[in-house]
Amino acid sequence: MKLLIIEDEKDLSENIESYLTGEGNICESCYDLKSAMDKVAMYQYDCVLLDIGLPDGEGFTILNYLKANHKNDGVLILSARNSIDDRVMGLNNGADDYLVKPFHLSELKARVEAIYRRKTFNGDKFLHYEQITIDLISKEVIVNNLPIDLTRKEYALLLYLIANKGKRISRNAIAEHLWGDEIDMADNFDFIYTHVKNLRKKLFDVTKKDFIKSVYGVGYKFL
Amino acid sequence: MKLAAHYNKASIIITLSVLIIGGLIYYYAIRYIATNQLDRDLTEEIDEVKDYINLHGQLPKQVDFDEDQTNFTPTNLKTIPRRFFDTTYYNDKEKRAEAGRAVEGIITFNKINYKVTISESKESTEYLIQLVLLITVLLVVILLTVLFITNRLILKGLWKPFYKLLLQLQAFDISNQAEMTINQTKVDEFNELNTVIQQMTKKAKTDFQYVKSFTENASHEMMTPLAVVTSKLDTLIQDEGLNAKQLTQITNIYSYINRLSRLNQSLLLLVKIDNNLIKDEELIDLKVALLDKIQQFNELIQGKNLKLTTHFEDKSIYVSKYLVDILLNNLFSNAIKHNYEGGVIDIELMYNELIIKNTGEKLPLMHENLFARFYKGKQSEGTGLGLTLVKNICDHYKYRLSYHYFNDKHEMIISF
Repeated sequence: MKLLIIEDEKDLSENIESYLTGEGNICESCYDLKSAMDKVAMYQYDCVLLDIGLPDGEGFTILNYLKANHKNDGVLILSARNSIDDRVMGLNNGADDYLVKPFHLSELKARVEAIYRRKTFNGDKFLHYEQITIDLISKEVIVNNLPIDLTRKEYALLLYLIANKGKRISRNAIAEHLWGDEIDMADNFDFIYTHVKNLRKKLFDVTKKDFIKSVYGVGYKFL
Repeated sequence: MKLAAHYNKASIIITLSVLIIGGLIYYYAIRYIATNQLDRDLTEEIDEVKDYINLHGQLPKQVDFDEDQTNFTPTNLKTIPRRFFDTTYYNDKEKRAEAGRAVEGIITFNKINYKVTISESKESTEYLIQLVLLITVLLVVILLTVLFITNRLILKGLWKPFYKLLLQLQAFDISNQAEMTINQTKVDEFNELNTVIQQMTKKAKTDFQYVKSFTENASHEMMTPLAVVTSKLDTLIQDEGLNAKQLTQITNIYSYINRLSRLNQSLLLLVKIDNNLIKDEELIDLKVALLDKIQQFNELIQGKNLKLTTHFEDKSIYVSKYLVDILLNNLFSNAIKHNYEGGVIDIELMYNELIIKNTGEKLPLMHENLFARFYKGKQSEGTGLGLTLVKNICDHYKYRLSYHYFNDKHEMIISF
């Protein structure tokens, strides 16, 4: 995928770029509205990561521009403001998703991938990873032509892990992804452990491969 | 005690003491004047007796001196000083003793010295004094009554602007941006007070708005650095060179960042609720919302082996979905978090009430601080804003939130 990161906080922008780059992904960064406008006007991106509060204006300008020019770039808004109004305004103006700061890079990657899937594989509702096939519409998981039965949380976990394959993912990030940050339970890692253990076992039973590797002290890595 | 009562008390004490002292002085003065008058009469009587003796050459008989009683006693004394004194006067006509005044002196008749005593009834004078006193007391009573009534009426009228102001101050709402309108009065002091209060409330409101916008901006500004820290940690843990101990430390940092970010979100939300900025009200079926929440918290409930019982009646409320979500999240989180392994949660939804009961620490929570910002139990790892949020959301929709500890269960009750 080709991504554009519009974020004025350079440290954040660099970390996002380094996390998302690789596996055929190309990232470009810009730090203000003016240069961002130039970029989106000239090139086509699979996904634009858009910070709303830019030093020389609101990120919504980019969104309006894309919409007015019928550009099909996916847009993920990054905002420090967790306000319903901003969210509604962003989504109504053609943004694909809205992510509130602070976020985990793994969460960002999962969201970007989701946008990319929606935008590119319009007809294809299947996601493939090695011998695992996921039907994104019916939320069925098929391994070696055999459906495996996953709970809602296990299914969400699997998608999240696949999106962040090869990366270490913290338990905190998984907890926030599965329960949302509104629930004051994110630190309760026992549940994560249970879900990961179950998912690992279910995958192992049919593939005889251990997809999930524990990273002691911090979390997991999907291989 | 009211100001008027204080004033009345003081004014009555002063008036009464002045009147009593005045009355006493008055009484003695009248008495003195009356006695003087009597003494002068008696002196005249003695002169009359002398004249009589000179004219008639004999001692006067009793009847000759109408009401006065005259006694002549021969004496060897050459002179005695003329002396006036109080005595008892026997009224022959009415056959009774009365207070009297007498004078004694020496009269020489036929070369014999007589001590002459003339006494006179004081009755009429006493009567006069009593009458004067009575009138005085009556005047005092009337004066006091009139004073009391007028004071009351005047004070009541005078203090009217004050009570009006007091009412306004009681209704004062710091978050209401409308300025307080204060009526002008004829009393300078009240006008001054009004002006000062108006300035004060205006300043309080501006300061409050300032603090609120500061909170909002500060919270927003904090989110970006938090995002940077999180992204750096996410990058850091990718480093294969880190050992488990270091990674555990990072996990701890994550947890604190999460707490800080939730704290910020809660503060922002409080500001928004206070500012009445959340307005996406819709009709929410509480039963459905509760069932959703139970589903959402299912694992956490099961994880602690909590026994959940529910009793739901149909109830819909017109509220913001977002706020209800936060309200229920907090109530559910608390009921689970502060519960013990194998405890109980009861949820009852009735037409006028939502009750969430849970077992937990076998001690009622401190009442007065319960809904205060940043108040939390010793073991709580929350932000300390959860119940404040619940309370503010309830206040926002004019629901009553109350807490009871009954049968070893903590009960949170929302009355619609």
